[in-house]
Amino acid sequence: MKLLTIAKRGVGVAAFAGATALAMPVGPALAADPVVIGYIGSLSSDTGLSAYRGAQIAVDELNAGGGILGGREIKLVAADTQEDVTEGIKAYEYLNEVENADFILSGSIDDVSLGWLPRMAEFRTPTLDTWTSYIGIIEMVVADYEKYKMYFMNVGNDLALGTVYIDFGRDVLARQMGWKTVVMLQEDTAFAGAVGGFVGEELNAQAGIEVVETIVYDTQTVDFAPIYNKAAALKPDFLFLISSVNSQVPSSQYVKLQVPVPMTGINVAAIGLDFWNDTGGAGGGQSTFSPLPAIGMDFDPVSQAFVDTYIARYGDDRPIFPHFNGFNAYFGLKNAVAAAERAGGFEPLDDWVREMENTDVVLEKDGQLWHRYAYWKPGEIEPRTGLEFTHNIKFDMEAPYDDGIPPMVIIQWYHDGSPRVVYPPKYANGEFQVPPWIK
Amino acid sequence: MIPYRQLAGWAVFGGVMCLLPLVLPPGILRMVIFANFLAIFALSWDFISGRTGYVSFGHPFLIAIGAYSTAILSFRFDWPLIISIPSAVLITVISGLFFFVPALRIRGTYFALVTLAFMELAYQLTQVLRPDITGGTRGISGITSIVSGAVPNFYLSFSILFVAALLLWFLARTRMGTALAAVRMDEGAVTASGLSTIRLKLFAFGVSALVAGIGGAFYVHYLGSIAPRAMFDINFLFQILVAALIGGSTTIAGPIIGAFFLTFLLEYLRPFIDGPERFLIFGSVALIVYVLKPNGIYSILESGYGLALARFRRFRPEGGPAK
Repeated sequence: MKLLTIAKRGVGVAAFAGATALAMPVGPALAADPVVIGYIGSLSSDTGLSAYRGAQIAVDELNAGGGILGGREIKLVAADTQEDVTEGIKAYEYLNEVENADFILSGSIDDVSLGWLPRMAEFRTPTLDTWTSYIGIIEMVVADYEKYKMYFMNVGNDLALGTVYIDFGRDVLARQMGWKTVVMLQEDTAFAGAVGGFVGEELNAQAGIEVVETIVYDTQTVDFAPIYNKAAALKPDFLFLISSVNSQVPSSQYVKLQVPVPMTGINVAAIGLDFWNDTGGAGGGQSTFSPLPAIGMDFDPVSQAFVDTYIARYGDDRPIFPHFNGFNAYFGLKNAVAAAERAGGFEPLDDWVREMENTDVVLEKDGQLWHRYAYWKPGEIEPRTGLEFTHNIKFDMEAPYDDGIPPMVIIQWYHDGSPRVVYPPKYANGEFQVPPWIK
Repeated sequence: MIPYRQLAGWAVFGGVMCLLPLVLPPGILRMVIFANFLAIFALSWDFISGRTGYVSFGHPFLIAIGAYSTAILSFRFDWPLIISIPSAVLITVISGLFFFVPALRIRGTYFALVTLAFMELAYQLTQVLRPDITGGTRGISGITSIVSGAVPNFYLSFSILFVAALLLWFLARTRMGTALAAVRMDEGAVTASGLSTIRLKLFAFGVSALVAGIGGAFYVHYLGSIAPRAMFDINFLFQILVAALIGGSTTIAGPIIGAFFLTFLLEYLRPFIDGPERFLIFGSVALIVYVLKPNGIYSILESGYGLALARFRRFRPEGGPAK
């Protein structure tokens, strides 16, 4: 009689499935003791590591100070997303249902945050994002506050970033430099397509700068000589590069080829201090926007203390200097904990949300507002755009920026390898320059 | 003849799995849900590639068609799920014909590359073609859930897996299933014997697309979000392939075992290795298992069972009860 039957296979498959599931190490059974703070984000990208390290420093300082919520220790648990959308959902579930996280700090990129957002709404876990600036998420909070009220974004949204960038185009590129024509060099991604379209239209409308041509290149391009030759042949006043993938390649080739046209734009790699080494010292002249606090910026004393701690602890490991979201994670985590202290914990959710909305931490430098961690409240209208940005970090889009930080600054890498802030004037510690080979 | 023993096996499998929520915490059930969906996708892939030998590298294309269709219909156009999901499955089955057309002319490596091209093409189109509808690179978030919570979603996902596996098992036992296996071994011989390989392949591709479409549609309503990088990702493809191969291709139990093994291996490692190194270990373990046992974990379990049975018999008197 054949004993190895399908019947027994059925038991085997079920047993295998059950056994693998049961063998999973489960998180702390007694969640009451430590306060569990989850970190969700990439642990292999510069921005993801910046945020994670910022959170680690904040947790260590809070624990060294005697813990929180009546002396409870904080346990920081990281869940790597690999910048993968599905991994992000699994990571969010893991932090909630295995580790029982009380609060989640995110260093996720746009689509990863959008991926776990439905889980956040389901679990009702207080969450603070430090990297994505996608305005669509803020629009979701505005449209359905009850569902998404536990979400806060510690970086200015895309619309705010873009608006200030147009101011830079008007004030510096058009008025100061006298430039009237531009060739857009944009990578073949939807991000670049969307940003390029917006920037092109607004530069024309608000700064009178005409887009002569838009050259779209593949993100895998390794030889930019033909592209730069084509752009230079059109004789524009400047080039506008939009690059979020492999940005070191067009940057270093621009310097090595000594392209005879000035270039500015959005260069994601250039917002980190590792950029100089990544380009082999050929990153001079590159300018890009960066959310605050940015490299090259003069810091207020509190932020400077964080920078010093970061460098002492991680200065030999990439990223050697915190990206903007490292600051946002450090201050964001402390602000979330402070809100929990005022509310009596991260639960009830409404109490924590109310106290988080009341957060108002002003960091001063030389007696003036230098940085501010506060959030737009429900129903509050931003005066320039006339829009609501509920739970986005409070920003100010008009000089003298005395009600909040500008959503971004423009930084430029000088040819001696030092990054400087060149716009807006309040934060500027350098002048916008053209490369020395351009007369 | 009714295969009572096999049906009993299915009943035991279903019964044991249905008891899992009684013993597993929600966090682990969440992982089982992902394993259930991966098993559905692996079974679907195996029906076309394992059984007919037409190795598809574009299977996420079919899954994504189902997922995007119901996501767009329900989220953008407010279609009720009871209509959007069947519509999505129908669209996926029709899309499966795109795979069928190249299969009329090519097979082997060329077929695999053509299907891979389908996935890449769809990836690019999703981002640039009507991003106002597809959500572009960022996709769509806030898609309606069918049920909420770990336990209801476990039962829903397991029900789909169970029905899909039962359907494929039944089909594999028919003469049609035997003919499909013959296509894998020698397509020319099947043609020479008077059977229409075109009809056979059309049937296999249709069934595979049907299961992929059902899985994709329910998967996206479980996730609550969809993005091109999640659906057309090469890692997603690898997980499906590896689940089927490492579990045991051309079987029903194999892809299910492989899906559970892969899902839980990665999650086992998470508390101990929080960085990207766990993916390195994951890949290494998968490689070692596959090199040592090309027929998959199912064959290991089968031989282990055979060994245990032989020992059992050795200690049992001839014809008498076991002691």
